[in-house]
Amino acid sequence: MKVEEYNQLLSMQTDRRSLLKGAAGVAALGASGGLGATAIPGSALAADSLRAAILKIPGVGKGSPGDAEWQKVGEMCLEATKANVKPGEFKGVELNFMGLNNQNLHNMLFRGFLKPWEAYTGAKINWIDLAQADYNARLQQSIATKTVDFDILEMGAPFEGDVCGKGLASVMPDWVKKQVDIDDYSDYLKPPVGTWDGKTYRITIDGDCHNFNYRTDYFSDPELAKAWKAEGHQGEWAVPRTWQKVNEVTKFLKGKKIKGQDAIGYLDPAKGWGGFGFYFLEDRATAYVKHPDNKAWLFDPENMKPLVNNPGWVRAIQDVIDSLPSEPADQLNADPGTTAFQQFLAGTGSMLSWWGDVGSMANTSDTSVIGNDVAFDILPGSDDVYNYKTAKWEKLASGPNFAPNCAYLGWGVYVMARVDADPKKQKAAWSAAAHLGGKDLSLWMVMYPSGMQVHRNSHSDIAEWVGAGYNKDYITSYLKSQFGSYNHPNRAIEPRIPGIFQYYSVAEDELAKVFAGKMTAQQGADSIAAAWDKLTDQIGRENQLKLYRASLGM
Amino acid sequence: MTTASEAYSARRRASQPWNWSRAVAKILIYAALLTWAFICLFPIYWTISTSFKTAVNVTQGDIIPFIGRFQGDWKGWRSLGLSPDTIFQVSTVRDEFFLRFGNSVIASVGASLLAVIIGAPAAYGLARFNYKFGPWRNKDISFFFLSQLLLPPVVLAMPFLVLYKELALLDNLFGLILVYTLMVLPIVIWITRDQFETIPIELEQAALVDGCSIWGAFIRIVLPLALPGMVAAFILSVVLCWNEYFFAALLTSTNAKTVPVMVASQTGSQGISWWTMAALSTGAIAPLIVIGVFLERYIVKGLTAGAVK
Amino acid sequence: MIKAVAMSHSVAMSHASLISEGRKSAGRMLIIVTSILLAAIAIFQILDASGVITFGLTDWRPTLYAYVVWAVSVGISQVMMRGEAGHKALFLLPALLFTIALVIFPTVFGFYIAFSEWNLSSFDGQKFNGLDNLRTLYHDTYFWNALRNMTFYVASVMLQYALAFGLALLLNADIRARKFFRVAFLLPFMLSPVAVSWMIGKSLMEFRFGPLAGLARHLGWDNPAFFATPWIARFSILALDAWVWLPFMIILILAGLQAMPKDIQEAAKVDGAAGWTSFWHITFPLMLPVSVTTIVLRIIFQLKLADIVINTTSGGPGGATDTVSSFIFREYRDRSNVGYGTMAAEVYLIIIIIFITILLNLVGRFMRREAAQ
Repeated sequence: MKVEEYNQLLSMQTDRRSLLKGAAGVAALGASGGLGATAIPGSALAADSLRAAILKIPGVGKGSPGDAEWQKVGEMCLEATKANVKPGEFKGVELNFMGLNNQNLHNMLFRGFLKPWEAYTGAKINWIDLAQADYNARLQQSIATKTVDFDILEMGAPFEGDVCGKGLASVMPDWVKKQVDIDDYSDYLKPPVGTWDGKTYRITIDGDCHNFNYRTDYFSDPELAKAWKAEGHQGEWAVPRTWQKVNEVTKFLKGKKIKGQDAIGYLDPAKGWGGFGFYFLEDRATAYVKHPDNKAWLFDPENMKPLVNNPGWVRAIQDVIDSLPSEPADQLNADPGTTAFQQFLAGTGSMLSWWGDVGSMANTSDTSVIGNDVAFDILPGSDDVYNYKTAKWEKLASGPNFAPNCAYLGWGVYVMARVDADPKKQKAAWSAAAHLGGKDLSLWMVMYPSGMQVHRNSHSDIAEWVGAGYNKDYITSYLKSQFGSYNHPNRAIEPRIPGIFQYYSVAEDELAKVFAGKMTAQQGADSIAAAWDKLTDQIGRENQLKLYRASLGM
Repeated sequence: MTTASEAYSARRRASQPWNWSRAVAKILIYAALLTWAFICLFPIYWTISTSFKTAVNVTQGDIIPFIGRFQGDWKGWRSLGLSPDTIFQVSTVRDEFFLRFGNSVIASVGASLLAVIIGAPAAYGLARFNYKFGPWRNKDISFFFLSQLLLPPVVLAMPFLVLYKELALLDNLFGLILVYTLMVLPIVIWITRDQFETIPIELEQAALVDGCSIWGAFIRIVLPLALPGMVAAFILSVVLCWNEYFFAALLTSTNAKTVPVMVASQTGSQGISWWTMAALSTGAIAPLIVIGVFLERYIVKGLTAGAVK
Repeated sequence: MIKAVAMSHSVAMSHASLISEGRKSAGRMLIIVTSILLAAIAIFQILDASGVITFGLTDWRPTLYAYVVWAVSVGISQVMMRGEAGHKALFLLPALLFTIALVIFPTVFGFYIAFSEWNLSSFDGQKFNGLDNLRTLYHDTYFWNALRNMTFYVASVMLQYALAFGLALLLNADIRARKFFRVAFLLPFMLSPVAVSWMIGKSLMEFRFGPLAGLARHLGWDNPAFFATPWIARFSILALDAWVWLPFMIILILAGLQAMPKDIQEAAKVDGAAGWTSFWHITFPLMLPVSVTTIVLRIIFQLKLADIVINTTSGGPGGATDTVSSFIFREYRDRSNVGYGTMAAEVYLIIIIIFITILLNLVGRFMRREAAQ
């Protein structure tokens, strides 16, 4: 379908009521979350109607969109490209694009988006699809054996040290910065993220942090509230806001029933996930170890000594050990994927830490059966926080310590330096990347199952979400948790040091032994620290220290 | 051969009177057979049926279709562009699947053919002649071939990546065929050597006396006799190559990519699309199931000749 | 190069003496010329690659082609120089030269990597570190733990063999619908490990919705978590792996059973206690060679068990199901620790070779004793 026809269709559909509802939503958000200040797209009306139009494809609640929808959206969002590129300008150019095929999203989705771009510019894109489990290894091996055979790369920020640090990426031209409106990115995704030695490399298409997902039906259940009082717990039956409370609630829920089914509290993914599993221990730990006065929480920024065996971290590990008996019987073999998609989204368990996409998926994906019973918040805090400098637990005057874990920092699109030799190819590669990272396109991506989540200030416009079909309360809670984490003054930012996933992977191995009862929390933490020290020496302590400090902005 | 033995057993059956222990034994035999057949077939049924499920069917573990919730849904196939409503539309995922499917066919058939072509003569040589290769004798040469099976493939990653880069064989179907040939060659040699050893040597001697060369005797006398065994080795090789994942993920990118990597791609940080994975798995094993159904007798027959020395 | 001596062919005459000197020297010339060609091209490429001369070759294909030419001429010259012995060598040469060509570089390069510290993320690249990797490996509890698990997995092959033998006997019995059962028993072999670990390990055996868990609950197991306690997890992994590989064993054994002379088969089919005795005294000894092939091949594949473990348990709980291959996989791929991972694999390879050699020797001795009886 042509864009013109779509616009026409849309103008017939739009009614005043939904517009008004949208406006009210913005006001409500402004009052509740302090987000009113973030930019609401104030561009021309044409742009607004385009945004509204793409969000109707296929419409939230109408199942997962597929190939036809992707191409349609790609076609409609081509205006920005047309401004910078003449029709057929890249005729004869062939580009290799390496990225994930994650459940036939990511690269498959990009194919759909870029098909109209290819038709317009005349360039041809060849696709290298990797399974997520192969991604890190493939990238590292390509770099090490100098077999980089791709021009455009979908990559997470943690790998910037490996790619940009080795001079393999192309520096972003200024016209691209303008086309993708780079100033619209959320604060925590602005430099130093996406840059290396002051140069910009990354088109951000995703924002990542872990937030707290919980089931509203649990915490409004009168039976559970009664039982909570009867057992003499402090305070009302409510959503826990500290890890101390989360643990209390988890133990309380063991053996209880809700709607005739076993009630279960927090879900700890106890099994490793190729390194990604360590993020979930971090979720518990950041509140204990990320002190507001200090940016460092993984390593000591003086000498790269691991902090992972200090009492704060050990307490987080001990929490998991203590909670596991109250969690499902197969939890010891549940990796984060199982935990989120086979347990939480399938109705088992009431609390979960996960990236924001579980939130949008609960509504738009075929995998979910819990629909609107989910609400969101930033990760729980802690009554006290461990200060490794003074070696003391401190209670802050401001109340519990919150430290949202900005895990992975999201996917981005990078262009490789090997295109720089050919100006036409270079422009083509950056144009393709810019099309994928386009401002309007990104809105569609974060609203529908794509694996991408909100990462721009312009994504905070509740009216647009409601217009697309989201429930207002639900999406308000979701966006509040997302932007609340991104903009949190005490957010824990992941250090972009080379080999960061190696650290996580070693830690997972040791944690597996701890959770299986072969070691105590302290022993496990000590062996992680020892392994990390060894790894740092292997990769190069001086260099790691320098990069670690730079990534923290020190 | 089978008819003769069946006639014999039938006669035996008829000649023996009905008795209880025989009946019980029969029941036990069929019970065991049916149980194991169920164990073998149910997971395959599960895979195929899952490709027609929705999220609720998966999370509730529905087994039998058309009852209650489980009405069947094309969701899994739709995401591949292979459902009735999408089959005639443009679908990048379907194009991708068919490209990979074609590559898988070429790579596995090509490698298996090559392995049989160079493996069978080697096996014949090892079965018939005594070689000396420095200090090596037949036994050592056989073990050398076998030892190619022993190494965990993961450590070949870097060496092969470097080697293939230098030979410009990365992302090249021919390169993939070479690796797969290396992978299945030991099995081909092992199986066909047993075959050749059972062929009576007198046949070749007669041919030699008639003036055939060694190769003539091999091609005209031995090969036809050993053909079933080579077919069996070929089929086993195709199956092993078809499912190979590690080298496919390592050495291919845009031209030579194969199906297994696409199956693995259905998992990741966005959970698992069970229906799509099941549909892909179904599509991937379909040709092998066809092979199993139609060529099963060749496998057993082919191996039979060489089995007992 | 390769000397083939005709032993079994009693009629084979010695053709060697009939070969003219001219033909011999022509063959010798051929091999010398192509060897020089190969060496020259290889040296030329080395010089080009190291920058001594600049010819601008982008890949090593010329050397590859030269190798192919050389390999072909080796074959031809064998025939020219040695007549029938050369013909015989020609049977083995293609496979041998092919295998050597493909593995020689990876093997040499592999050993070179094994004695170096090479973390792909390190900015310094590869560093030679002598025996350090070996020392680290010696103290690596994960390696030893995985090796201990392997003894369990390998020992279980005997169990699988017994089961496969039983099933093959059933298939070989007087049964109706034999074709159906044979196809059914074969099919699991067709599934890829990826599909098996996901569709069975993570779906069929899923704690909440998997039908197998449902069945287990029905049978009175309240918490059918198949991968949460060490021994249950080990047996679950084993069951998954055996499910895939039993067909392979069954068809090998079945082929053996069917190859037995009919009269022996019939004699062995007598029911009752006599049947049991005849199985032990007739069928089983006759089946020994097949059994050995089956078991050895199965052990080799079992030693490489990795995919299913990586996908379903990641070696857990607490390392209980870890295999050496999955441990190496984590070191090598997840942690890009290429030097150490390669050393672990080389050591494992040596352990396997020793193990298989001893096994083959023991089996050989056992079979000779059986034969002598």
